[in-house]
Amino acid sequence: MSQTPGPRPDVLTDPAVESLLQDTTPWLSCEECFERMDTYAEAAVHDPQHLDEAMTAHLRGCSACDEEAQSLIDLLRAS
Amino acid sequence: MTAVRRDSSRDAEAPPASQADSRAPVGDPEPRDWVSALGGTGPEQSTALRELHALMIRAAGHQVWRMRAALPDPSPGAVDVIVNQAADEAMTALLGKLHTFQGRSRFTTWAFKFAILQAATEVRRLQWQHREVELRDVELRPSPAHEGPELSAEGIDLAGAVARAMSRVLTPYQRRIAVALLVDGVPIDVLAERLGSSRGALYKTLHEVRTRLRAELVATGYLPVSQAGPARLPQASPISPTDHEVSPTSSAGTR
Repeated sequence: MSQTPGPRPDVLTDPAVESLLQDTTPWLSCEECFERMDTYAEAAVHDPQHLDEAMTAHLRGCSACDEEAQSLIDLLRAS
Repeated sequence: MTAVRRDSSRDAEAPPASQADSRAPVGDPEPRDWVSALGGTGPEQSTALRELHALMIRAAGHQVWRMRAALPDPSPGAVDVIVNQAADEAMTALLGKLHTFQGRSRFTTWAFKFAILQAATEVRRLQWQHREVELRDVELRPSPAHEGPELSAEGIDLAGAVARAMSRVLTPYQRRIAVALLVDGVPIDVLAERLGSSRGALYKTLHEVRTRLRAELVATGYLPVSQAGPARLPQASPISPTDHEVSPTSSAGTR
């Protein structure tokens, strides 16, 4: 399946502005996020109020890691 | 993965009774010693490998189902191939890191994340496989689409400040990465694959972009000081080596 994307507008939408200005401190790399993801997900299932500041900041700023963490939490909740 | 037969994607929906431990509540003790079984030999290892593969199928199936709307071909046959391939690759990755499992979580939870990562990455790759990824170093302008005149003026003002800050404090490489990821919506692992980079390296660039923009917007009065956050860059790297390798509007091509 081939898709031909149209010309991309050179505009800054509100979501793009919000994402560009996202505070992603304290720093956590994607690799560290993956390492912690299993314990983070189990903690989130046990206690919805569980807070891991670095993970939260990373997941705010990395939509791919966020999707995967939420998916793992959902899978555990369904188990 | 010669010791493991590919399972049908139906396994993802109805795992066999032998996987019942994977469905135990998260807080329950681990019902088996996966590391010993997988690292052993003989029938015990074969059984453990088979059951681990079924777990991988289940998690990969879960992930592909979540992202099915992004698939160019969401037919059951195509999904079955993606799920099995992701499970196989995730299992290989997991077995290569088996010695690093420290028991901080259940083994099954630890295993699931490998399959979820692999499946999600594969779906995003397929979603973009025929799309060109353009690295644009462009001057952005605020979007006129805002709700209400006040919000519109505020939003346009902030967006204009962000656009100016991007021109002023970012390197051309940082701008291209930021535009590709946050304006054009290219998934981070797709961009990493096209650039021969890694998700981690691009995220680090993005973190630097955000830190610089926030500091600039505090300096120009658009963000309060308390919102600047500590300027904790992972490592000082003013210009990535890739800066010199990417032309102003280079294309990362398609796969």
